Amino acid sequence: MKANPKNHNNLKTFFLFFLPLLVFASSLLSQERFRKSPPYPDPLAKLNLPEIESYTLSNGLSLSVIYQDNIPTISLKLVILTGESASPEALPGLATFTAYMLSRGASTLSSSEIEERIESIGGGFRTSINPDYSVFTFTFLEEHLDEALDILSKMILQPRFTRIEIANVKRFMTYDTLRKTSDPEFIAKRHLYRLLFKNHPYKKSTYNEDVIKNLGQKDLLAFFDKYYRPNNAILVLTGNLNLSTASRKVSSYLNTWERKNLNDSFIPPPEPYGEKKICFIDLPKAKDATIYIGNVVLAPTSPDFFPFLVLNQVLGGTPNSRLFMNLRESKEYAYLAFSEVEFFKSCGVFLIRAKVRPDVIRESVQECFKVLENITKRRIPSNELEQAKSYLIGNFPLKIEIREELLSKVSEIKAFNLGENHWSKYYENIMFTNSKKVFETAQRYPLLTSVVVIAGDKNVIIDHVMEFDEIDMYDIKGNLVQSFKKGVIK
Amino acid sequence: MLFLKTLMAKISKKRLVFSRKILFLILPLLLLLTPPILKTQEKEKLSLPVKYFQLKNGLHVILSEDYSLPLVSVVVGYNVGSINEQPGKTGIAYLLENLMFQGSRNVSRMQHMSFINRIGGELSATTTPDKTLFYQRVPSNQLARVLWLESDRMRFLEISAFKVEQIKEVLIEEIKRRKANDPYRESSLTFDQLLYPDFTYSHPVIGNETDIRNLTVEDVRDFYSAYYTPNNAVLCVAGNIDTRKTEEEIRKYFETLPKGEDIPPMPPLKTPSQKGMVKSLENSLVSSPGFHLGYRIASPMSDDFYPLKIIEYILLHGEASRLYRRLFKREVIAIQLNGSIEKRKNIATLRIFVINSNQLLVERSQRAIFSEINRLKSRIIQEKEIRRSKNMFKMDYINHYATSLNKALFLTETFLSKQSLDDLPEELEKYLSVTPYDILRTSKKYFTQERILLNIKIR
Repeated sequence: MKANPKNHNNLKTFFLFFLPLLVFASSLLSQERFRKSPPYPDPLAKLNLPEIESYTLSNGLSLSVIYQDNIPTISLKLVILTGESASPEALPGLATFTAYMLSRGASTLSSSEIEERIESIGGGFRTSINPDYSVFTFTFLEEHLDEALDILSKMILQPRFTRIEIANVKRFMTYDTLRKTSDPEFIAKRHLYRLLFKNHPYKKSTYNEDVIKNLGQKDLLAFFDKYYRPNNAILVLTGNLNLSTASRKVSSYLNTWERKNLNDSFIPPPEPYGEKKICFIDLPKAKDATIYIGNVVLAPTSPDFFPFLVLNQVLGGTPNSRLFMNLRESKEYAYLAFSEVEFFKSCGVFLIRAKVRPDVIRESVQECFKVLENITKRRIPSNELEQAKSYLIGNFPLKIEIREELLSKVSEIKAFNLGENHWSKYYENIMFTNSKKVFETAQRYPLLTSVVVIAGDKNVIIDHVMEFDEIDMYDIKGNLVQSFKKGVIK
Repeated sequence: MLFLKTLMAKISKKRLVFSRKILFLILPLLLLLTPPILKTQEKEKLSLPVKYFQLKNGLHVILSEDYSLPLVSVVVGYNVGSINEQPGKTGIAYLLENLMFQGSRNVSRMQHMSFINRIGGELSATTTPDKTLFYQRVPSNQLARVLWLESDRMRFLEISAFKVEQIKEVLIEEIKRRKANDPYRESSLTFDQLLYPDFTYSHPVIGNETDIRNLTVEDVRDFYSAYYTPNNAVLCVAGNIDTRKTEEEIRKYFETLPKGEDIPPMPPLKTPSQKGMVKSLENSLVSSPGFHLGYRIASPMSDDFYPLKIIEYILLHGEASRLYRRLFKREVIAIQLNGSIEKRKNIATLRIFVINSNQLLVERSQRAIFSEINRLKSRIIQEKEIRRSKNMFKMDYINHYATSLNKALFLTETFLSKQSLDDLPEELEKYLSVTPYDILRTSKKYFTQERILLNIKIR
């Protein structure tokens, strides 16, 4: 049979024109198909953590260095391992006062001259205090390392606490404490800590502005002399420098810093709250109702640390977590609802914080406890567990990319003696956490007997607050005003 | 350096003849000491590996590699902001920023946020008078997912009447909240109108309540189709990326998106009045009087902008800055001081805002500020003071390189401001080489009597 040339030509036309068109159209279709669903992620990339090199100087100052050369600046944190819990019983606020005074005069330098010298090296100096330690963060251009250490050494070795600066710092502390009292979250959290840390040294960090006037120069000098010692300090640096350069430089500026023996400052953990308690603080003109719920839980050295991080993530770490999805997305009670764990040296505090509509306060608190009860009774489904772990693993490099957060993390590991596991084995610790471990952890801690603090405008929410069986009403300074049972004064 | 000086002093004391032996001893030492000095000088030139290309549909793409950690930042910048809004349609750019999180054809409502949260990432967005930026920082293995999300909302945003109405309500609530929380908001908006007499530049990014109420779903759709197109956008990816693979993925997700229409031209600008003015505003919400002061200065594209930026640091940055010292330490006459150079497209202004406890101190503060500005115009600044200001500026500038997100935002904003990315390595040096004479000259040129002053009085 002879081939028909016409057919042959048709076939040729088909191959020449239509086939490429078909291929093109199908490629377009397949291109659009990938838009239908999210692409699969690549395998998780290896995390090469920056190495922490450590060394202790002859005077006991512990030095840690993290080499990073991405930008020509150096950041350091000087951590004095004494915080507000070490303030004398009669002088809460003394540790904070001492820390703020550090940059207010040294040797022949006035506070203005210190500011000028710091800014002349592109620097910034910041002070922060928590119950366990006081932190001085100093960032500057890398070519001025010597100048920065010179300024720091003058502050530590030749402090000058003049009467004028004492008055200035006390005025600042009073103003700062008063300013914070307009923030319902600050008021609610402070009150929660006052209840949780009742009779415990950590309570001293919840002082009111009225105690500041009691702080004097003599107390300041004694506190500084006792605690600002190299054997009670950690210096963490990051930038384009290695341990040998850092230790040589730091040693040349701080080797005359004299060590002094300190008594062992072991602080036992506070007892957790054994029964649910509900408190209300009247905040005139507050628009919403702010809720803080919390109790004392594990210390950061506990083997339950990583399962508890996962547990917290499931409960309220992000807007995808149970509290937010329940209180905001499903019930529409709350504007926000999250949870967190704040760690101290001797314990941790598990916290729920929510901002809710005033008319549904009782329902919101009930929902929070339902969420807590659920996690102590049922294992977390695997998809939810993996989602929480995926968040914690993915978020870790994001945190340590920011130098401030990297230094905070390393300072915390050193100050709390957390060990290598918290740094180099972070990924593994999260990855190996399973639902059994999380379930057991949830049962081990008193989540269901947490304290509830509600802050809001009495005129707006009093009727809703009275729906609770029992409630204690406090003023903004934390004084008990009245207690109610079934809406009647006790 | 100190070691070298000591060594040289010892050598000269012993009156040693400069023999070959000494040269052998000193030369290696000199060589050892030299690199840090050179290194310091080189650092003024910050290196940032950048690859740039443009897709067929007009989308500009910038890639920058950094392998320090397994993460990546993605920024999509649209060349649109409140200056592209028409009278009566204010707030539409900010409304669209919000709508971009409410779902597109293949991404349901809130799914964008939820995806990023689940993988431990962070996301946000911002609208300014001249740009809208969407950004996220995620683990590097999730890059494709972010590109998928961004490409979907660039082309297939779902704009329904229901969603538009919902966001309108949110925006109106936000305006009310801002009004309630910031008693000085009204004065700030009035000052904007004095500083930028043209509607295009002066109206608030969040919009006016009445305009927002009147916006229709068609208005929003038209604005989206006109400006949220590949040819009006730049995509920047910075972090732990394989450039070749990333380019392939970007082409996969973005190249088939159709090019939009040509971008509507900007409405013609009214030339700002060159006359200075003093106005007053009485306000019943404020509890303390104060004032806004402004100077129109050189365009950010001008060479005069470099000394003007250093002047901003001399006057307003840090506790050792001139105005901070004068108002808070020397005279103790102000409660609050804020100020900076503000850029809106190619117009720049120096804005200062002060709150005082009484009217007498308002006048004293104004006299103090004018006297400091006159000092800049009449006396050469001391080396020590200019060094402080330049180093403060340098630190802020270097922070643009501190994280993958900072870099991606910096590259995107640089690109959107029509500045060449090739000039970036040299940019810092231009600020650092400003001389005291430049400060004197630019102060005289721009800080004239043609200033704008708005007094805020208690009603």
